[in-house]
Amino acid sequence: MSFKSALESGKFVVTAEVGPPKGTDIKEMLHHAEMLKGKLDAVNVTDNQSAVMRINSLAICKLLLDMGHEPILQMTCRDRNRIGLQSDLLGASVLNIKNVLCMTGDHPNAGDHKEAKPVYDIESVQLLSVVDLLNNGRDMMGNEMKGATDFFQGAVVTPEANPIEPQLLKFEKKVKAGAGFFQTQAIYDIETFKEFMGFAGKFPVKVLAGIVLLKSAGMANYMNKFVPGIRVPQGLIDEIKSAGKENALDAGINIAAKHIKQLRDEKICDGVHIMAIGAEDKVPAIMERAGLI
Amino acid sequence: MIITKKRDYEELKENIKDYRSFFLLGCSECATLCCTGGQPELNSMKEELEKEGKKVTGTFVAKTGCQVLGTKVELKPFKEAISESDCILVMSCGAGTQTAVELYDDKPVYPTNDSLFLGNMTRLQMFDERCSLCGKCILDKTGGICPVTACPKGLLNGPCGGTNEGKCEISPDAECAWVRIYNRMKRLNKLEEMMEAVKPKDWSAHRKPMNLNAREKAQSKK
Repeated sequence: MSFKSALESGKFVVTAEVGPPKGTDIKEMLHHAEMLKGKLDAVNVTDNQSAVMRINSLAICKLLLDMGHEPILQMTCRDRNRIGLQSDLLGASVLNIKNVLCMTGDHPNAGDHKEAKPVYDIESVQLLSVVDLLNNGRDMMGNEMKGATDFFQGAVVTPEANPIEPQLLKFEKKVKAGAGFFQTQAIYDIETFKEFMGFAGKFPVKVLAGIVLLKSAGMANYMNKFVPGIRVPQGLIDEIKSAGKENALDAGINIAAKHIKQLRDEKICDGVHIMAIGAEDKVPAIMERAGLI
Repeated sequence: MIITKKRDYEELKENIKDYRSFFLLGCSECATLCCTGGQPELNSMKEELEKEGKKVTGTFVAKTGCQVLGTKVELKPFKEAISESDCILVMSCGAGTQTAVELYDDKPVYPTNDSLFLGNMTRLQMFDERCSLCGKCILDKTGGICPVTACPKGLLNGPCGGTNEGKCEISPDAECAWVRIYNRMKRLNKLEEMMEAVKPKDWSAHRKPMNLNAREKAQSKK
């Protein structure tokens, strides 16, 4: 079943993130992808995440597709102008990649090429409209194309953004621009997320809650301090601390599984997007403990 | 105004190491307010050069250094001082430097400043960039606050996920441009206007090098 049909069927959808490595050695990434085979509704491949230069998303999407995964191509507007973005979208289409996640992209300042000239010729809301145009057989300038794309396009949203109102306004713009699904920034507070869903649920879109695996108390503290839009409640940090250093990762897996189970049992959203950030081999364990497999 | 700051002096020294005598040209407008090219700065540059055994044949603060013809007329009385010099040092912006290049095409001209941005002076000696001169104004759609300039990503349709308690993720001291725009539109009771997606920008409106013949336009109106 395709990712889109899975969402439409009403089943609780599970996707996970795969980060392409820096360099040409993809053995470990392929090994992780192999472990995830048959367990997920789609695999989401990041686009030079955190503005750190790596293998491009498109090449890895194609490799994963050939392995039997359903890839979601992440596309940011940081590194390509509108010609490059449209051209890569057409390329993805002929390679049979069906899903695209449209984002503006982290600023180069966050990454390992801080002197790079950021492009941002267009941004996330506009990129969604571009995909919609390509799906209808026309490019951004209205030129007719020989053959249209057939993408299922999605976007991202930060339910813990502070202040939240401008973020919700942008969410609505993304819906209007054609986003069919949303993947959220990591959420750790289910009650706040429920409030967000009270708003998002009014729109005809599917929402996948972002689940970032907590690997240690230090990681949680780091994210609280340095990653805007992520807020790990102290209770969870204490839970990991009390598990002791050796069992911290295990406690993190439990927290992720517990959240996923609650999201599914209470039908709070349409699925989850698991970001294990380097610990992709732990995704099956999270899914097992959540009762998904 | 055009905001300038003094170039690295060692770099400038390297530029002018083979020259013995200099004419210093400042500007009474932006560079004076930035304290990079007013009379006091010309005087200290003169002292600095003389300390190193070089000669300054003359100094002049142009009224408006980017105005080519006006500066040409103003510099007439300095013909001798300029011709005696090996090199002209321009202590204003890149535009002022190139006025001198145009007027003295057989003489080396070097800038003493880096030109940074079009700025608003908020307090004495404090400057903010608020307009990027992008060629197609969108202030009508954003409550008069320019996200092309104030947002590091130049976002046109709302904030990214990096808003941190109203601050910008990239420049933590700065307020998020889109939080400012949102709050202002809310105060003006215009949030509805923000719901419409802003279309991709026409970057061809700023195709370098820009030029404008306003005279031609005025004539064609007649």
